[in-house]
Amino acid sequence: MHFLEILFESIIIGALVGFAVGAGAARMFHAPTVQGMGAFRTLGELNACAGDAASHFSFGLGFFFNAWASVVGAGAFTQDVDHRIIPNWSAAVLLRKGKRPEDTLHDPKKMAIAGAIIGAIVVAFLNSTAAAIPKSLQDVAIQVLVPAANLLINPVMPVIFWLAALDAGKRSGLWGTIFGGAAHLIMGNAVPGVVLGILIGKGVDEAGWSKVTKILLTSVILLFVLSGFFRGFDVNLVKGFHMGIPGWLAELHKMMGLEVKK
Amino acid sequence: MIDRQMVESPDQNQLNLKSFWYGDWAFPIFVAFISAGIFAGTHMYYTFHVGAFNDVAIVAMLAAGMKGGGYGAAAAFGASFLFARILEGSLVGILDIGGSIQTGIGIGIPALMLGAGITAPVQSFPLALITGALLGLITGYIIIGIRKFTVGQSDSTFGADIMMGAGNTSGRFLGPLIILSACTASIPVGVGSVIGAAIFYAWKKPIAGGAILGAMILGAFFPIPIPPIVK
Repeated sequence: MHFLEILFESIIIGALVGFAVGAGAARMFHAPTVQGMGAFRTLGELNACAGDAASHFSFGLGFFFNAWASVVGAGAFTQDVDHRIIPNWSAAVLLRKGKRPEDTLHDPKKMAIAGAIIGAIVVAFLNSTAAAIPKSLQDVAIQVLVPAANLLINPVMPVIFWLAALDAGKRSGLWGTIFGGAAHLIMGNAVPGVVLGILIGKGVDEAGWSKVTKILLTSVILLFVLSGFFRGFDVNLVKGFHMGIPGWLAELHKMMGLEVKK
Repeated sequence: MIDRQMVESPDQNQLNLKSFWYGDWAFPIFVAFISAGIFAGTHMYYTFHVGAFNDVAIVAMLAAGMKGGGYGAAAAFGASFLFARILEGSLVGILDIGGSIQTGIGIGIPALMLGAGITAPVQSFPLALITGALLGLITGYIIIGIRKFTVGQSDSTFGADIMMGAGNTSGRFLGPLIILSACTASIPVGVGSVIGAAIFYAWKKPIAGGAILGAMILGAFFPIPIPPIVK
């Protein structure tokens, strides 16, 4: 019963996602005139094998096996289903018999239709085969994967992003360090803070303190203040420095439905 | 906006920039489609433990919340990615679906909802589709809105290349980390993951996949002793 339910839902999900990924990928070739969607690396990879159906297919296939292992092991597709497998296999289907990429890969309508079909097949296959794997086998994978993933999230990814920010120039390094540290304190992971730091640093490097970068900085600070408040960080901060919690702050938290422990 | 660009780039005038396939107005519809699918993928992960559209490391954050560890990390991580990618996507003309939709709408927003005790949109398939589509529409309109106000005012890519470089580097860490944790789990599983990774490397495939498969195959014959549950 579960199997049919999974199959049915997977086909719908795959078709929806594939349709949008296909159209978005084709639209990327007309960016920035047309708003596309996908990723820079997807665009680069599509260009790298453009015109050759076999290259597109084998490129997708390599990531397909990886996604398969990942979904069987941990139930996660990897981002490659959307970034690599669907766009490249759609391109491979459209480009067969030596058609020109300009008429196929760059055409959102053709790519959307091919993407919807490929997406439905790929998602249904991945989900139904993963669901058919015995539970005990999945447990092994999870016992191996979860500790590895935890290590990746903390500290590997924060460190890599942080170093990238430091290498990217003075402003990125400075903002990355400030927001990275704040993010680790408030959210428990530095990555979002470092990412926003790079965003601001590079934005100012390339465009100066324009209206856009000012709005950006304000909204980032607002994001930190709000998430700090809702996670009770302000109260812990005051407590950490051995100070009393002011009555109005406790009241404010209470109003939001958060009881402050004295 | 549209008119100006058509005048500026006459070579693109065979593209009908007001049509569904090329126009700005249709963009939110495409985002709604992909968001509906990806949000529903998260629903499948919540219900059947398969089908989340993201990397293991990021899905693990959501899984930590589902096992009672709190949704804070997933929510903060996903929401900030969504925010950053919306800004970047509208400025550069390419929305990164990995950060915005797969991580933001697929992981961050469900984590926010689950953290707040709202489970219905994640538990029900039709509700998941509708919720995802609505979130996608909103995201799409915000992007088109920002685009209208900012494109032409700024040439910056806001360090997108740096973040992508760092993202790809972190992905490479996963393979060796999986082997390390397999070797810690038990000797047979460790041996399996080493052999699997070596074979995948020889085949020029990412070694993470081989390490997982190798660990599973050996783990099937020599199960890992169940460790005491440490909370």
